[in-house]
Amino acid sequence: MGAAVGTEEGGKRSVNCELNIVPFIDVMSCLAAFLLITAVWVNIAQINIQPKGKNRDITQVQQDDEHVTLSVLVQADRIWVGLSRVNEFQEIPKKGEEQDWEKFETTLKEHKASAFFADRTDIEVAGESTSQSPVTYQDVIHAMDVAVKVGFIDVGLTDPAGLAARPQM
Amino acid sequence: MPVHSAGPRLYHSVKFRHLVKHTGSAAENRASNVSMNLVPFVDMMTILVTFLLMVFSATGQLLQAQKGLELPIADSRDTLQLAPVIIVTKSEITYQGQLVATTESVLRDDSPTFKIDALYERLDAAAKKIKEEVGLGKLPKDLAKACEDAKQNIRPQPGKICPDGLAILQADESTDVRLINKIVNTSKAAGFDNLLFAVKNK
Repeated sequence: MGAAVGTEEGGKRSVNCELNIVPFIDVMSCLAAFLLITAVWVNIAQINIQPKGKNRDITQVQQDDEHVTLSVLVQADRIWVGLSRVNEFQEIPKKGEEQDWEKFETTLKEHKASAFFADRTDIEVAGESTSQSPVTYQDVIHAMDVAVKVGFIDVGLTDPAGLAARPQM
Repeated sequence: MPVHSAGPRLYHSVKFRHLVKHTGSAAENRASNVSMNLVPFVDMMTILVTFLLMVFSATGQLLQAQKGLELPIADSRDTLQLAPVIIVTKSEITYQGQLVATTESVLRDDSPTFKIDALYERLDAAAKKIKEEVGLGKLPKDLAKACEDAKQNIRPQPGKICPDGLAILQADESTDVRLINKIVNTSKAAGFDNLLFAVKNK
């Protein structure tokens, strides 16, 4: 490769010249090596949460009692979506080996579109795990991720006893 | 070293006479200088460098790789920021690289406080230190502004959250939620009421 300028007209001497690209290749090689070494191949992100729970935070209890709170309880075999004060609960049973995330997302979208939550972004999530039916961190993260995607960006994580709306079984 | 004009070097600087002897070119008195075509090489390097520059992260690595730790997967793309890191692997809980407790012992503990005492002590000390630094104004401008905004309930930008009460939880995807609940409770009790859950992008 090189830049060549040629004027062969009239029998004059050739003015062809070649650009020396060796330094360019050197710089490119060094840059490529540096970038390859420093590259971060795993993309790590974050989900921001606030620890919540009316059993531990007195001011939160007063706030919670004033308005309807959307609560999500992740269990090993189902997910509950409930509204405090109204005491309405929707049960989303597991679909095969995995939770039914599609239905969960649809349910949250419906709630987001409702009059209660159209202008609100808060939600509380809890995972109820026992040694017999454990709930994994991945499931809770998935539930929070779906909530953020739907528009509930103020996710609060609490323990099951701290949920504003808890299904009675 | 003498400076030569640009052009093919083979046969002058690089002695390949012994090779040329065995080829037909020397016998036929043809020029045996070989000019290698570097165009594809330069093209490839340019593409490689462009790609690497695009994926280059100037923020550095905030999290340490841990043996036996697989982060949960999520769609969220909010960037992480520097904060104290609580790491939960399949077998142990560490804070800033120091072992705090084993997961088994924490799961066995049924204390009514719902806290991990060893972790609480460390977090409490760290929270006080961070609060002091924030109070003394030892923060970069953008973070100081984030702290001011937080007082007025203004939502911070991802990656620009006030460090007061901010911690990162880097836990394995298969961790029992009971353990996460205990860690979140402990963090809150120690003053860390803003947690960043580290996740891996799909």
